[in-house]
Amino acid sequence: MISHRDNNTQRIAALDERAEALKLKRGMGIADARAMHPSIDVVEADAEADRRLLEGLADWCDRYTPLVAIDAEDGLFLDVTGCTHLFGGERAMQDEILTRFFQQGFDVRAGLASTPGAAWAAARFHGDRIVAGGEEEALLAPLPLSALRIAPETRAGLESVGLRTAGAVMAAPRAPLARRFGASLLLRLDQALGRLDEAVSPRLPVAPLSVERHLAEPVVLTDEIERLVSRLAVALKSDLERRGEGARTLALLLFRVDGAVSRIAVGTSRPMREPRLIQRLFHERLTALEQSIDAGFGFDLVRLSVLSVAAFDMLQGDLTGEADDDDADIALFADRVRARLGEAAVLKPVVVESHLPERAVKTVPFAEAPQRRAPAAGRAALPRTAPPMTIYPPERPVRLFRSPEPIEVPATEIPEGPPMNFRWRRALYRVARAEGPERIAAEWWRQLPGEEEAPTRDYYHIEDSEGRRYWLYRQGLYSTAPQAAPPRWFMHGVFA
Amino acid sequence: MAMSAVARDTVFALRRQIAKIEGTLPERLQAPAPGAPADVTGSDMTIVRRGLAVAAADAFLRTGIERLDAALGGGLPRAALSEIHGLETRDAGTVAGFALSLVSLILKEKQGLPILWVGTAEIFHEAGLPYARGLHALFGIEPEQLLFSEAPKLLDALWIAEEAARMTAFAAVILEVRGSPQRLDLTATRRLHARAQNASRPLLLLRQAGEADPTAAPVRLIVSAAPAASRETVAGPLAGSIGRPAFKVDIGKSRTALPGQFTLEWNPNEHAFAERTENSVAVVPASGRGTDPAPASGAVLAFPALAAPATGDQPSRQQHPAHRSPRRAG
Repeated sequence: MISHRDNNTQRIAALDERAEALKLKRGMGIADARAMHPSIDVVEADAEADRRLLEGLADWCDRYTPLVAIDAEDGLFLDVTGCTHLFGGERAMQDEILTRFFQQGFDVRAGLASTPGAAWAAARFHGDRIVAGGEEEALLAPLPLSALRIAPETRAGLESVGLRTAGAVMAAPRAPLARRFGASLLLRLDQALGRLDEAVSPRLPVAPLSVERHLAEPVVLTDEIERLVSRLAVALKSDLERRGEGARTLALLLFRVDGAVSRIAVGTSRPMREPRLIQRLFHERLTALEQSIDAGFGFDLVRLSVLSVAAFDMLQGDLTGEADDDDADIALFADRVRARLGEAAVLKPVVVESHLPERAVKTVPFAEAPQRRAPAAGRAALPRTAPPMTIYPPERPVRLFRSPEPIEVPATEIPEGPPMNFRWRRALYRVARAEGPERIAAEWWRQLPGEEEAPTRDYYHIEDSEGRRYWLYRQGLYSTAPQAAPPRWFMHGVFA
Repeated sequence: MAMSAVARDTVFALRRQIAKIEGTLPERLQAPAPGAPADVTGSDMTIVRRGLAVAAADAFLRTGIERLDAALGGGLPRAALSEIHGLETRDAGTVAGFALSLVSLILKEKQGLPILWVGTAEIFHEAGLPYARGLHALFGIEPEQLLFSEAPKLLDALWIAEEAARMTAFAAVILEVRGSPQRLDLTATRRLHARAQNASRPLLLLRQAGEADPTAAPVRLIVSAAPAASRETVAGPLAGSIGRPAFKVDIGKSRTALPGQFTLEWNPNEHAFAERTENSVAVVPASGRGTDPAPASGAVLAFPALAAPATGDQPSRQQHPAHRSPRRAG
């Protein structure tokens, strides 16, 4: 028996058949139940765990249709339009779903109807029933008002005026009902009867393309899964070719025999349709995930879906037959590294117009970076980036620390000058030569209103006594104000 | 720094032994040919490898420094793993700078090809990320040419480097690690070397604060910082300024060279090395990035020596900044 706290009282939230046989009911106080039957076992409800379980079941139901939606706390909607023939008809499909759930240890009730509302009512009030199109009214008429999915207040109101079944509501004139109980009652009624369309919003976006393979004998080995991937990718290729598209995101769904579903996604930096390449990407991903995928008793359904597509530009190979496409090689390389090591494994710097050194270069994952223009054979050199409009571009270090590291500066020769020596990472450095300062002020246009202005930075190019060159800066200025904090020094980069 | 004759004899005898084992032509071990440049013959530290049967002329990347190229037997091997060591992590900037200048030399021939810089998360945290703006100014590497990859673990970095070294789409691959990890052993480096050889692309292995472990790399250079030259102005070097970067390069391991030290200076305008010899004046042109400043017009007249300060350019006592002089009371 499962209890939950409602209105400051522990009440029964759910109970099994044996507890029902003891004449216990839902909503009864735990104290009363204990008084009647001291031996009952009570477990606290865990809404989060219930939710997770339902999500898992929804994942598993993906094998029947891509359109699975979660209904409240204890229901699933499966939009099986166009899917039933794959399982031998509506009856066979429903039986299979029920059998499989039963084998997994779930007690489920299913209803199949042409509208979500009618299916909901059929599942909850009939158990195992298939409602043909047009029979919704006959199904709903004898059912109580709660079969209409309406708010409890509306139901209480309807009952107080003597309308106790859905059939009675259907027979009543519509205008007074709408005036008294609002539009939602009639909306629910019309949806259940199929007069209005109701969209079931799926929990996952529907993949534009997917191919799958049901296996009589479950597969366990990674090699076999990879082989299956390449076979599925071959089937996918013709679909992609017909659409003139290539895949940008691919997902591999592995349905385990006992109901667990593994979802493995890979991204590509350019549209792809070649089965060999798709298999290589999944090879990397599966290698990386080898430890975390538990094959258990094996997977009996493997599905390869394309989650997003992009237009695929056809390329003509040259006469020698070897298309010398370095960019494609690099894109594939980046995708493979990304499949194995995650999104940020291959990065590309992008120059941004900014005065602050750390903002001036943004690092973005390779797939999101703007594509490099391929150097055509005729053009020898790339168009160079336009130099800034200064005669001497400011010197910048070859390496920049991710965040400036604070250093200790005991003394400077003159107040606003470079340090004479400094301590960085617990080592003392003696400054032999210094150039600067280069003053970089904070960018006021990025500042939020009311925010205090960030102090300016004076950058110095420093060479220590052993010839190493550093880039450090003083944040803020020396001030004669009594409470002013002394400026702080930071190491920001190293020169060649 | 002349070696004793006995030691030299021993070295030559050993080299001959190696040559016999490797089956290469013995004349590469002969003392420099008569046609070799004078400074090579003058140096007792290097042997010139001539008539090597296997190496093609473009198998080596010439650094442009005659003495160093000769010592390395033609230059840095193009299709190989080359190690570049830094003695301490704080040398990371210098080591990276030297590696990038080599890359810049490579890019002179392979324009537009991208380069890949693979590093472990540790080294990028300790020594900083490559900064695209600095690379462009100094080495002419465009930001869109640079790809870098940060691997959480060394094994991942090795995997990425291996996969990248297979490809011919990169002009060069740089793999940067810190210290002497166990995983980077002879086997791992041999794999990297083999991949680089097959793809005939250079793979530079930067090891910050690394020990001289046995590896498969044919060449190991140890790079440390050297004080930069002063900036050149029309009136001679500007005192106290920091000019072109300079590197001190030791040959730590090479089939042909005896240990030697070179001080190289990188010329960011011409993208070329210049060797700095002791007490030399820079041979590079005086003007930096532009044209020469206009010559002074007219005749140059000396100012009348009214009150020539005794200490050259030092300002007189009256001109000294106020804060330097002890303030008198009152």
